[in-house]
Amino acid sequence: MKEQVYINKTSEVYDAIVIGSGISGGWAAKEFCERGHKTLMIERGRVVEHRKDYTGENTPMWKQELRGRVDNILVDQQHHIQKQCYAFGNTTKHFFGNDRDLPYTTKKGTEFSWIRANQLGGKSLLWHRQTYRLGEYDFNANKLDGHGNDWPIRSKDIEKWYSHVEIHAGISGSKENLPNLPDSEFLPPFEMTSPEKAIQAKLAELYPERPLIMGRTAHLTQPSELHVSQGRVKCQARNECHAGCSYGAYFSTQSSTLPAAAKTGNLHIAPNSVVHSLIYDEKTNRVKGVRVIDNDDLSEREYFAKVIFVCASTIGSTQILMNSVSKKFPNGIANSSGVLGHYLMDHNYNSEASGDIDGFEDEYYSGRRPSGIMIPNFYYKQNPKRGFLRGYALGGGAYREGWDSQQHQDGLGAEYKNKLKHAGKWRFRLFAQGEMLPRFENQMRLHPTLKDKWGIPQIEFDVRFSQNEKLMMEDATEQSINMLKAAGLTNVLGNSKHGPPGLAIHELGTARMGRDPKTSILNGFNQSHDIPNLFVTDGASFCSSAVQNPSLTFMALTARAVDFAVKELAAKRI
Amino acid sequence: MNNDITSTLVTTNEKSRRNFLKGFTTMLGGITVGSLLTGNAISVAMAYVPNSDSILTDGKVFNKSQLMLLKQICSIVIPKTDTLGAAEVDTHGFIDNQLFHCHTKEEQKTVLALLKLVNESAKKQLSMSFMKLTSEQQFQLLNDFDLGQQRFNQTQRDDFKLLKQYICFGYYTSEVGATQELRYDPVPGGFQGSIPYKNLDPSWATRGLFN
Repeated sequence: MKEQVYINKTSEVYDAIVIGSGISGGWAAKEFCERGHKTLMIERGRVVEHRKDYTGENTPMWKQELRGRVDNILVDQQHHIQKQCYAFGNTTKHFFGNDRDLPYTTKKGTEFSWIRANQLGGKSLLWHRQTYRLGEYDFNANKLDGHGNDWPIRSKDIEKWYSHVEIHAGISGSKENLPNLPDSEFLPPFEMTSPEKAIQAKLAELYPERPLIMGRTAHLTQPSELHVSQGRVKCQARNECHAGCSYGAYFSTQSSTLPAAAKTGNLHIAPNSVVHSLIYDEKTNRVKGVRVIDNDDLSEREYFAKVIFVCASTIGSTQILMNSVSKKFPNGIANSSGVLGHYLMDHNYNSEASGDIDGFEDEYYSGRRPSGIMIPNFYYKQNPKRGFLRGYALGGGAYREGWDSQQHQDGLGAEYKNKLKHAGKWRFRLFAQGEMLPRFENQMRLHPTLKDKWGIPQIEFDVRFSQNEKLMMEDATEQSINMLKAAGLTNVLGNSKHGPPGLAIHELGTARMGRDPKTSILNGFNQSHDIPNLFVTDGASFCSSAVQNPSLTFMALTARAVDFAVKELAAKRI
Repeated sequence: MNNDITSTLVTTNEKSRRNFLKGFTTMLGGITVGSLLTGNAISVAMAYVPNSDSILTDGKVFNKSQLMLLKQICSIVIPKTDTLGAAEVDTHGFIDNQLFHCHTKEEQKTVLALLKLVNESAKKQLSMSFMKLTSEQQFQLLNDFDLGQQRFNQTQRDDFKLLKQYICFGYYTSEVGATQELRYDPVPGGFQGSIPYKNLDPSWATRGLFN
């Protein structure tokens, strides 16, 4: 193994450059390195070492100055956007972007919350770890109703790559043989609580087409030998994942792909390297390398490679392409189609419902499960009567009330204290995770004048949920309420909100795949139609959002694209 | 970084990381996983240190007499039983610190106004400051406040519930509240969906990082 991994300046021409070190970048680096390719991973932020830099980990509330919260002054000055993320807190704040240095704008009348994680590992440290395959109905959706373009791939193209990444990453879940949600290679699922099992049984009777299953998640419920050999052990059910996990029990770049890549001796990492743009050679029609601005001292440097994988996150990747202009590509590299930046999507979490579960007073659970239950999208077949297109999944779970949900009750003194000491009633909640249609007008673009401190044009967002998404959330609330009532819950309440996109942190689209170079940026292997040695394999490449959490598909698309690129390199086609 | 060198190789601790991983893997044999956490660079958090004399000096939001009043309210809302109560773990001092650093000016004003109202109500009703009432009278007055009855309206009741929320947060996230009054397990070892629950069992102090 190489003793030096981190580099700053080098004249080496690498086999591959991977821009980004999150879920997609980590996979790209691992797959290239394991195929014997000298690889440079470029990360705009600082190095985060596994274990050593999880500085908030395992710190109980009373050992934190502000008991999990963050000082107003720090929030106002540096995190006024990031604070909107549910996972932002004292033990995680150092993994979120500094809003002061990362400005962006939104078109008047629109809102978009852009959550950033600019460090080695990126959002793989902060993700919620829910992992689902896309299925045939998802790949067919655009073609069927004419919104967006047809995905150039189908399940058969990506199945084996899902299996490939799942075995390495470690995905817990239950085999269900559902038509609308393909199974993964599973480690055992997390257990359900008794009330969840009871609701599952009732719904199976009343809504046989809406099965309730255990959420699938990238946690080691039972590590394989491969996982243990990487220093990863069983999930301890602390549910403090976003602070970092020294057990390596959830998939992150640090726990899983980086050790595998580093082991080959083929990996270099250039941290603190903000990619300004790609270097394009018009004569050969190839990208030769990247221009980088130093994150700290703003000096410039360049890196070179035979093939370039852009894995800088959906918005980040497209920003780099847009800022790479030349005579041939005045509107952004690889953008001969003109669709770069368009068809931006997120998921819609604007509906929830909950109720009380009677009974089960002698039941409790032990540990803090880092996952919940899932009712996969039951609207996977078209139905014009529904009044809206596509569908949603329902997540949620059961818990017993503790002090925090009982504190608002009337009462004082020993009796009140005694009540709060003990577990209260069981509650069950559902929330919707809805598909967002790919629409041309939902877009990101470079601001004509405003730049960030690295001299890179800021992003302006122009994106909003449409009437279709609004109607879908209203339906989700109605259906959730009906299902909870039918399952025997009491005090059932639900509501739909109208929150803007962004906070699902499932940004997708803007450099979409497609068969037709006139209407898409990438082909079915995430390769640029225009420039053969340029690939984008993160969420930017998506044609539709489907309802599933997208990260598992980033992994599979990336591994598949590397396999393709390596063969193309060998055949001297790129 | 040194710009004179064309290829600056930043040293890494790859070797020590490898050794650590090797040690880590061997440890899986016998030692409990809990011990794996000792020795990693967990931050030495600047925790708010409970101070038994918070009421002796002015705080960041409250003056001495307001702190004394808040302490008394803490002791009535969550009193000492077989475990310490909110006043004994300096919840009043914690609230002063927390309101200053993490809450809005409006929220600070709400609590200040509420403390004033407690004293004024005591004076109007019983012609004495709250601190001079008997403990029964103090309890009764706060009970009226909590239920929005007698001289208290719904808005004032809501404000009192907000203060109770601050007291509960301070108490149940304190070491005594989480580990002695409730049950806290830093490393549960895995999730079990069904374990028996008897009526007197304390509940879990937390469901994770965010709730």
